[in-house]
Order: sequence, then structure tokens, then C-alpha cells
Amino acid sequence: MSSSPQAFNEVLPEGLEGHEPTSLWRDAFDRLKANKLAVFGFIIVVVLLLVAILGPFITPYDFLSQDLSQRNQSSSAAHLLGTDDLGRDVLSRVIYGARTATIVAFSVTAVSLLIGVSLGAIAGYSGGRVDSAIVWIIDLTMSIPILLLAVVINVSLKTPVTYWMDDMYLKTHNPIYRETIWVDFALVFGALALIMWPPYARLIRGQILSIRNENYVLAARALGFSNRRILFRHILPNGLGPVIVLASAGLGQAMILESAFSFLGIGVRPPIPSWGNMISDGLRVWRNYPHLLAAPAVVLGIITVAFSFLGDGLNDALNPKGWR
Amino acid sequence: MGRYLIGRFIKWVPSAVIVLFLVYALAFYGAGDPIKLIFLRAPGDVVWSPEQIEALREEAGLDRPFLIQFGDYFWHLLQGNLGNSIISNRPVIDIISAAAPISIQIGLAATAIMAIIGIPLGVLAGLYQNSWLDNVTVGFALFVWAIPVYVAGPLLLVLLVLVLKIMQVPYGWDGLFSTKAIIPVVVLALAPLALVIRQTRVAVIDVISEDYIRTAYAKGIPQYVVVYRHILRPVLTPVITTLGLIMITMINGAILVETVFGIPGLGYLTVNSIIEVDYPVILAITLIGTFLVMASNLLVDLVYPILDPRAAKAEVEEVG
Repeated sequence: MSSSPQAFNEVLPEGLEGHEPTSLWRDAFDRLKANKLAVFGFIIVVVLLLVAILGPFITPYDFLSQDLSQRNQSSSAAHLLGTDDLGRDVLSRVIYGARTATIVAFSVTAVSLLIGVSLGAIAGYSGGRVDSAIVWIIDLTMSIPILLLAVVINVSLKTPVTYWMDDMYLKTHNPIYRETIWVDFALVFGALALIMWPPYARLIRGQILSIRNENYVLAARALGFSNRRILFRHILPNGLGPVIVLASAGLGQAMILESAFSFLGIGVRPPIPSWGNMISDGLRVWRNYPHLLAAPAVVLGIITVAFSFLGDGLNDALNPKGWR
Repeated sequence: MGRYLIGRFIKWVPSAVIVLFLVYALAFYGAGDPIKLIFLRAPGDVVWSPEQIEALREEAGLDRPFLIQFGDYFWHLLQGNLGNSIISNRPVIDIISAAAPISIQIGLAATAIMAIIGIPLGVLAGLYQNSWLDNVTVGFALFVWAIPVYVAGPLLLVLLVLVLKIMQVPYGWDGLFSTKAIIPVVVLALAPLALVIRQTRVAVIDVISEDYIRTAYAKGIPQYVVVYRHILRPVLTPVITTLGLIMITMINGAILVETVFGIPGLGYLTVNSIIEVDYPVILAITLIGTFLVMASNLLVDLVYPILDPRAAKAEVEEVG
């Protein structure tokens, strides 16, 4: 997620490290720094990632450990965010929720980027019928309410997968087929990745079509530069900005959708903590124990707003010709 | 013009049929046999012989090949028959027509809020670009666009009911003009509102640099007349173009808002039928949702040439 020029150097090929960072990234970084909301978003997102990575080391309690003598406590020194109806520490569960959200968000974004970039590149390069077919699929997918489509995919896949797992367990007695947690995760990834790739595909296709004929690319070609050099030094740096913007928005969106799934009871299921299923549980008892609802809701709210601010800032920073 | 409309419609029909086909295939191969689902949830330990089950399947026509069943479904759909619910055995069309009016009322009320607040705010922010008003509006739009409804809704509940104590718990549905409906409608309107504000603002910024606006000002026409007569119409075109996206946002929002506030509309129905794996209902709702979005996009295509006659001309020339 880092937007520093150093990080972008890793994307560039060897032989460029010695150079000064291209002014494009330097400019973008300066513009990003000037945007206070984006800096706020960036800091929150970094904190989120740290919390997600360090999860087990910084939680005061295990997210599963119950203490029935300490049920539904409000905030105290021992339990900063109180405890839930089974006496589990809410802070620890919120921290593990960050882990869940981050794992889902990154996997989904990676998979949908992969699908989107491949299909978009195929469409952009081949043109003709292949292009129109892919564009048509993109338009079609984008015209379906995504939550409904994801729900249908998720529910449709769940039954056959569960049967298949039971079958495999009976045949092999391998305990891995008894484990359902990773199936939940996989189904959420699958359903979300299948609905989130079209924007990437559309973007990449457009980028390829437009940048290929830009004057500076034509000039580079006329100068006899190799395809590789043109791709990495001219096309990639200019085409990467919008992809980064879209992917950062996609991360936030995947996180929201994961919690929406879990909120509706079809995503990550208890006892694995997700902010979505914590909000859903909290809604049942909020009149008596509002902290059980407020803690995950406030955290999720801050994170989504942070992603939104960061995405907007990146957009302004990387698309200087854009709308702002 | 007529040719443009017909061309758009002809392009639209196959997409709608293919979405129907895909969703049906997902249900057919994914959810499994409805008869089996019915038996799985039948109360008691009644053991049915395979012959009895087979007879039931035959009676329901479920032993036929996939394509024939799909054709059958499609044919019934054209006649307005969406099959029966697995859970209650009531016709799906009845269940949906009981829930739909509630969702439609909430949706229309949220749309009204969105337009009445969103367009003026967007115009003001655009006219005074980079002023404090603009910054606050853009920040507000970013903020409400990001907050999911199942965060905004519950937090408003805690704030209004527990902290400020200015209202009773708004759970359930007493019609649109009761106090219970206020929070759900406002929460549902938030995300589309952000969309409209941003879209309007960008369009205004685009339009005010046009020569004819400068000319209008130069002629001494007062600002409100310029805004009303010269800016608003070209601005509304790109805003109306996002109708499909607004519709998607509304449908996503309705599913979650109705769940949070226990409103027995289509969204609530969706969640219930997901939990009970009531496939005919899920299928019907997905179709309706997809149809609504596609219809909005079609509507945009149809209205666009009226708002911007240049588009229709270009399209006809392109088609040939």
C-alpha cells in the first residue's frame, strides 16, 4: 500500500534503482502528502495492516477463550472494550476481525486483479471478436447488483462443496475434509473475486488501447527501443497509476463486502471473528449492551472511511489530469 | 431517433435472457434438487422410499434435461409465474408482491432525499470549487459513501435511542409516514447521495468553463438564472447516466437496511430466503434486481438522446 517512490522502484525493472525516482512518482507523492485526509487514511490503513499481521502478539486474550463469570461487561481496565455474552474479550475479537478482513481483502483483490488484468490485456491486445466478447461479459457482470450475484454464487457453491467434502471424508477419513473454516473463506473469496474483476479488466483494456498509440510510445518505438524497455519504462509507469487507485478502492470494497457477507450470515461464521458477524450479533442485544454493537461498527466505519480518503487522495495524486 | 431506441432495445434483450440463463444454471447445478431440499427439512424421521421421491420428481418435471426445464421456467416467467417457494409452498409471485411495495416506498423516498439534497449540494460545491463549502461537501460525500449501511444504521440507533433518547426503537414497518421509517430511509439514501453529489459537482466544474456560460455572465444575466437555465440541464445528463449505478447501490443498501431495521421488504425477504436456501425465491429476487438495473441502464440509454441530441446522432451514424 505504500505510495513512496522507493516502493514503486520495486515494481520497475533492474537497472533503474540507481536512477532518481521518475518525477511522476515524486510529484504524486508530494501531492499525496499535501492531502491531509489521504494522509489520515494512509496512517489508519498502515495501522490496520500492522494490527492484522501482529494479531496474535498484541491481543490481550485469546479470541475464543470464554470466561462466563465475566459476561457482557462494559469497558474496564482488564477488558478495554468489555466482554461479550460468552465472556470473550471484545478487543481481542476486534483485532482478530482485522485479520479476517485483511486476509479476505488481499486475497480477493489479488485474485480479481489477476482475472481482470489477464482478461483486460487479452481484450486490449487481440481486439476484434475476442475483444467484443470480453467487453460484453464485463458489461453484463457490471449490470447485476453485486451483493445479489455474490450471494447467489456463494449459496450455489456451498451445497455441492459441502457434499463433496462429506464424500471425501467418508472415502479418505482425512480430517482436512472435516474442517469447514477454510471452505467459508474460500467461498467468500470465490464469490467476491468473481464479481470484482470487471472494473480492472475494463481499466486495463482501456489503458492498453490508449497508451499504445500515445505519442511518447510511438516516439520510443521510432527511436528503436526494445519492446521490454517501452513496456516497463513508458507504458507501465503511465498505466500503473489508475490501477493502483482502483486496487486501493477494491481493497476497501472487498473488506466491506466481506463484512456484509458475514453480517448476513453467509460469510465467515462464528466463532471466527469478523466485524460483520460481530455487528450482527451485537444488533440482537444492543439495547442492553451497546458496546457489543458499537465496538466493531466504529472500527469498521473508521477503516472504510480511511480507505475512501486514501483512495481519493491516490486518485488526485496519480491522475493529475483527473477531475479535481 | 426511433431507430436508435429500437437498436438499444434489441441489444438489451439477449443480455437479459443470458443473465436469466446463468442464474438459473447456478441454481440448477448448485443448490441441488428442490425435492431433496424439501425432504432434508421435512419434520420428523419420516423415511421416504426412493420410488416415492422419484415419483414426486417426475410429477414436478424435475427429471427432465436442464434445457427443457429452463425453457419451461422461461415460458412460465413470461406468463408471470415464478414457481412456488420451497419453504412455504406459496407462489413466489405472491410473496414478492407482498414485500415489493414496502421496498419501493423506501427506495422512492430515499431517491427523493438523494435528488433534493444531492443535486443542490453538488451544484454549490462545483460553483465554489475549492472553497470551504466545497471541501466540506466533498469530505461529507466521501464519508457517507464509505460507511456501510450496517455501520451507519446501528450507530444511529445507539446515538438516537440510547445516548440522546429522542426516539423509540425503530424496528419493523408501520408505513412510510411513521417515525419508524425515518432512520432507514435516511441511511439508505446516504450512499446514493454521495454518488449524486460527486457526479453533479464534477459536471458543474466541467460546464462552467464552457464559453456559453462566460457569455451568459458577460451579458449580465444574474447567477441564479445562469445556473437554472444554462448549467443545470447539461449537468443533469451525466447525473442521470449513473442511474444504473444508483440502482445497484440502492438494492445493495436495501438488503442490509431492511435486515438491520426488520422491515419486511424485498431485502429482508432476500436474507431470509438465503438463510433457508429457498431457491425459487432467491432466483426470483436476483432476476428482479438484475432486471431493475438493466431497465435503469436501458432507460438512461433511451432518455440520453432527449437530454443530449448529439449522442443519438452520433450513435445512428456509428451504427450506419
